[in-house]
Parts: sequence; C-alpha cells; structure tokens
Amino acid sequence: MTSPDPMAEIRASFFIECDELLEALQDGLTQIDEGAADDETVNVCFRAVHSIKGGAGAFGLDDLVRFAHRYETVLDEVRGGRLALDHDAVLLFMRAADILFDIVRNCRDDVETDATAVEPTLRELESLTGGSEGEEEEEVADFQPMTLSLDLGLGAVDTGDTRYEIRFRPERELFASGNEPLFILRALGELGHTETECTLGAIPDLSKLEAEGALLSWKIILETNRARNEIEEVFEFVEGLCTLEIEELSGFSLPPLPDLPEISEVPGDSAESIESEDANSAPPISRLNLTLPGAQETQTPKTAPVSETPAPAHASAKSQTQRSSGSPSAPPATVRVDLERIERLVNLVGELVINQAMLSQSVAQAGIPANSPVAQDLEEFMQLTRDIQDSVMMIRAQPVKSLFQRMARIVRESSASLGKRVRLVTDGETTEVDKTVIERLADPLTHMIRNAVDHGLESAESRIEAGKSEEGCITLSAAHRSGRVVIEVSDDGGGIDREKVRAIAEEKGLVQAGQSLSESDTDALLFLPGFSTAKTVSNLSGRGVGMDVVRKSIQDLGGQVHITSTPGKGTSFSISLPLTLAVLDGMVVEAAGETLVVPLGSIVETLTARHENMRALGADSQVLQVRQSFVPLLDLGVELGFREPRSDYHGSVVLLITLEDGTRSALIVDRIHEQRQVVIKGLQESYGYVPGIAAATILGDGQVALILDPVDLLSSANGKTRYRSADLQIAG
Amino acid sequence: MSAELALPARLDLPAATPLAEAITALRGQDLRMSAEAVTHLGTPGLQVLLSAARSWAADGKSFSLQPCSEAFTEQLSIFGIDSAALSAPGREV
Repeated sequence: MTSPDPMAEIRASFFIECDELLEALQDGLTQIDEGAADDETVNVCFRAVHSIKGGAGAFGLDDLVRFAHRYETVLDEVRGGRLALDHDAVLLFMRAADILFDIVRNCRDDVETDATAVEPTLRELESLTGGSEGEEEEEVADFQPMTLSLDLGLGAVDTGDTRYEIRFRPERELFASGNEPLFILRALGELGHTETECTLGAIPDLSKLEAEGALLSWKIILETNRARNEIEEVFEFVEGLCTLEIEELSGFSLPPLPDLPEISEVPGDSAESIESEDANSAPPISRLNLTLPGAQETQTPKTAPVSETPAPAHASAKSQTQRSSGSPSAPPATVRVDLERIERLVNLVGELVINQAMLSQSVAQAGIPANSPVAQDLEEFMQLTRDIQDSVMMIRAQPVKSLFQRMARIVRESSASLGKRVRLVTDGETTEVDKTVIERLADPLTHMIRNAVDHGLESAESRIEAGKSEEGCITLSAAHRSGRVVIEVSDDGGGIDREKVRAIAEEKGLVQAGQSLSESDTDALLFLPGFSTAKTVSNLSGRGVGMDVVRKSIQDLGGQVHITSTPGKGTSFSISLPLTLAVLDGMVVEAAGETLVVPLGSIVETLTARHENMRALGADSQVLQVRQSFVPLLDLGVELGFREPRSDYHGSVVLLITLEDGTRSALIVDRIHEQRQVVIKGLQESYGYVPGIAAATILGDGQVALILDPVDLLSSANGKTRYRSADLQIAG
Repeated sequence: MSAELALPARLDLPAATPLAEAITALRGQDLRMSAEAVTHLGTPGLQVLLSAARSWAADGKSFSLQPCSEAFTEQLSIFGIDSAALSAPGREV
C-alpha cells in the first residue's frame, strides 16, 4: 500500500497543477488585455498565483514563494480596484507570468533561479502600485510564517483539491478477517492531507472491555486531488466489514463538527466511566492533524483562515473557473499514464491492423465468398479494428492550446526586443493533435512567429504611413480540415516584397536573372536554404536559415507549408499536417513491379493517359492535358529509378497529385491495387533519408511497401521526365 | 504502590486479550507502561490501552505510557489519538 516516495508523487502533481494554474493565469491576462474581463477574471488570476504560492510554500520552494507573493500583492491591488490596467501594464503582468513559468520550471528541475533576471520585472511591477521596495521586502519576510496558514484556507480549494468527509466505523469482523484500520488510515494519508478524528465514546471500563470488539470509529477530512474511486479503493478489502460514508464537501470551510460536544457528553458511558473532572484530562475526542512525512506543513487553528475568507463566493467561483469537477457523485476520473505505455499500445494496434489485413488477404485467397458469414464477420472485425485505432489515437491527442500559449510568449518577447507593438490572436485552441506532433511543432512554429514579428510586420512608422494601426497583429489558428490539421500563422504586415525577394535570389544565384517566376514561385524562394531578406541580421529570427529548416521540420512530420501573401495586407503561412504519425490512408499502387503506397490526401483524382491528351515538351518530357490545363507527367517507376521511361504511356493509369501550394503533377503508375489504411513504419532511423520516400509499411501479405512522400518526390523529380511548374511557365 | 509494564512489540488482535488481562491484574496501582518496544499498534491493542487509561482515570490512579517508540507515536497520530487520551494524572490523595 505504501508507494516508494509519496512526497515525490505529490510534488509531481503540484507541478502538473502549476501548469494548469499558469494556463488559467495566461487566459485571464489575455482576457483582461482584450477587454473581455470581469471582476472574476482578475480573481482567477489572483487565485492562480496564490495557489502556486501556497503549494510552493508547502514544498519549501522559497524562490517561487517569494516571486509569487510579490506578484500576487500587485494583483491584489488590481483586484481591489486600486490599480487599473492599461495595455502596457497587462503586458508587464504577462511578462511576470512568463517569469513565474520559468521559476516553476526551475523549481521542478531543481535549478536555481537567477534573481537578477527576475528582480527588474518585479520592481517594474511594483512600481505600478507605487509600493516602496523596502516595504515589500519586509512583507515577504513577514509573510513566511503565514504561508501555510493561508494555504490551509485557500490552498486546498485553489489547488483544485477536493475535501471529503469520510466516516469509517469498523465492525468486529474486520479485525477477525485480518484487516487493520491503521493501514487504511495510513493509505488515506497518502492520498492527500488528512485530519483524523477518533471517536472514543464507546470505550468502556477495562472490566467490561471486550478486547476483540470494535469500539472505535473515525471521521477523516481528506483534501486530495485524487478521484473519489481512489478513496473507495482504500476500503476495497473491508467492504461489508465496516460502515463507511464518503461525502464530498462543497465549500472549504470546515463544518462546525456538530458531534463534538455530543460525544464528549456521551451519556451512555457516563454511569461507570470517567468523572467530569477527568474528562478534561482525557477528552473523548482527540484531534490530530496528520501530515505526510516530509511535508513541511504546519497547522494553525483552522478557524482563523476560514473566517477570513468569503467562503461561498469562493466556492462558487471555483466551480465556474476550475476544471468542471462535475457533481459530487461523479467526479471526472482521469488517469495519468506513461507515454511509453501509450506508445506500446499504439504499436500493438498497428500490429493488429497489419494482422487484420493479413487475415483479410488469407480469407480472400481461400476463395471464401463475400456473403459468407466468415467474410461478414471479418468486415465487422475490420470496423472494430478501425474504431480501436481511432480511440487509441485519441488518447494521444491534445489540444494545441499549450503550444499556442508558448507562442504567445514568443510574440511578447520578440516584439519587446524589436520594440514593435504586436497583438497575437489565436483561434481554434481546442483543436486536438497528436502529442508527438505538438511537441515537434514547437520549434518550427517559434521560428515562424519570430519571422512574422521581425520580417512580416512593418515598423510602427511604416504602419501608420500605410494607414494601419500602430499595433501589428499576428493570427495563429488551428483547425481540422479533411483529415488533416491546418495551422496558420498570419500577419497583417506589408506582405512579401516580391521584387526584393527576386533581387536577393538573383544576387545569390538562386534564380537566373530574367527567369520568369509566378507569385507563388517567388514566395517559395523564401524556403530555399540560405535565403534571407533581412538587410541586417537580427539575433531574433536567425541568420536567414530559418524557413528552409521550418519546411524541413514540417515535411518530416508528413506536412506541407504553403505561403500566401498580399502586398500591403500581410502574409500567411499555412501548415497542413496529418492528424497522427502512426497511420495513413493510402492508395496501394504498383510501379515497375514494386508495390508502393501513395498518401490518399495528395491524390485528387485518377485518370487514364490518352494519346490525345499528352503533349511532348522538350526532349524528354511530356505534359498531360487535364481539362483546361497542362500538368507535368511523371513516371513513378522512372522517378524512383526502377526503370527507364516507356515509349508509350497511352492507357496508363495516372494519379493526379496536388500539393498544398497548388502544384499539380500527373503520376503514372502501372496498376492501382486498393485504397486502405496503412501503419507507418519509419525509415529515418534505420535507413536515413530516402528521396521521394516518407516511410514504409507492411501489407496484408507481409510484404514491405514504401510510402511515397509526394512533396519530396515532386520537388526532387529529376529524371528524364522532369517537369516543374516553373519550367512550364517559362515554356508557356 | 506503583507498577510497571513493558508492552510487547505487536499490539494486534491476538495480543489484545492477554494485554487486557495483564493490565487488569495491575489495577488499583499507579501504572507506568513502556511502549519502547512497540512496532505495531493495532486497533484492538489501542482499544485496550484507551480503556485502561479511562479505568485508571476513574480510579484516580496515574497511568502513563513512557517511553514510547517512534513507531508507536507515529501510529498513534495516524489513528488521530492525542497522547493525552492515554494518560491519567492520578488523584492527589
């Protein structure tokens, strides 16, 4: 029943809670900044900081307590209506929130926080209230002993803990069956903070004592962030051997213990038990506060903090602002699971999908008719497999909100260092994406945001000149679109200066002078390695190596980046990503005897090549007429080096591929086998980069098939049938 | 007259009745018990000690538990029992 280190666990959950509180703080500050705040918003911010302080105090994290205290003091001024916040002040509060975030991280990782980095922001913050620094210092010192008494009243609720009143009366049989309340009480203590009361009323004189009877009962007040079922689990083995009541207390003010005087006067045993004067020396109810070993928590009389607090308002506020904790009977049960275990499950499900494909193939090969029960059951099995797969993927899905909040900080920091005023608008924060995708998006997105602030947005003077507001706006949005996630970073800056881009590209020899380029081709130059438009290298958005690295990172995620830009109006980068890195809907095709998988998302339609639709272009290449336009024709077998071009492609199967940026190509394959979901098995680790290939998969017959990377294939198409839309434009 | 009694290591269910008998045998005297050796304090054992403390208090005899092992003190606090409940000062006669 005893976990190896309960304190470490509690500490870990404190930091998880900190993340939630910091998120709430950020949300609140953003609302205040947007003018969408009410009194409660400020309260939420205050409570978030206060709760962090409370928890930090319990764990002796002095740096955190000190900062949170001074931050909270200023927030309290706002709360009390003595300090009004303008935009700059809110920015300052946000910066302080960023520092708070850093200190929390440092405390978590046991890293010392550099006070010199913290102090200036704190001073600036305190200057808002005109509070003298000496006073503050004193207050902090004064504050120390109070930490926990405050925490006692507010912390329990603020940190999202729930209070339970547990009444536990063992029956005689409980002991007889080898159970012992001591272990149960100890286990409860490991779930959170407990206050245990033992009711001694039934203890008789020794001469009347039945030593093996059950005479004691307990009332335990438990403050915990654990789910109710975890509490119930503690009593699992004594079910039916005791009377048990578990009640969730809604407010945090302690009920006035109505049975306290009653029991102390228990009339039943007055006859032969203690005389009244002795009652004082041996009070029938003794109350002890039980804290976990190691917790530096000290208790103060609970009446003091409770009476200071407007309990009902607070409690109701909590129900609105904290995570929806549901009704007392059904608190939302969550489980923290190691990512490793989930990975294992995902892999197993992948194997299941492959296995099911093999089974389907065997059934088909056995010549079992489609309307036989076996085939029908298999159909159901396939559906079930798909459902399982979707559910497993959902476990890893997380809203992009945390990622967006990190970006908000990037905007704040980069705009501050460039002296630009920038507002970040986010949209679709609840869009869920695979956790691994989110993690790997942080770097490219950071780069894009910095680029947008640095290069995308004009200086304040230019903006005013152009009739725009001085404050630039960057929009970050996420949405699900046809089985993919689309994340957009847009700015309302001057748009891409295509003349300049072109000039630089020519100067650097990236394009030939006089070569005609479409607008999107010009924009795409930004993604070329070594391209930089910034006249001076700023330390902010790197040395112009950014965008090609960004594109590479996105492509590694199976995604595509696309730019649209309107002069004077702004630029928008759109990233389109697969929802997960584990499975893919693909079309299984054959080229030069090899089985390959083409991601379904990139295929617009399938056609048949006919003489009348094909036109020769140059010495080695042809284009295919698709309705009103010509599309370069690529032979997949040739592109991958499996064979030489065929003399005649009449009657060949063609996949019309469209990339995110609108580039289209006609890809010739020999045969289309089927359309199905495949499990992605990475090649990067074992083989490294293979041109035109994204990954591999295992098909139903056990054969390994390569999964194409259309973006890479089309951009690196360099065989005899090489056609690029740029060349086409020149030719046309 | 005063008596002393050393408590065994385990005060669990099997130990409860013998303990009650041993303590009952010392009734009428001031009693000092040593809980120094106690490693496990079970509810049945605790009940005997609580009852004894009450009985001694009713008799006006002093009842004390000294010294106590760390385990004993810790387990007492888990039970939510104040050590005062396990002592009786005795009445000045």
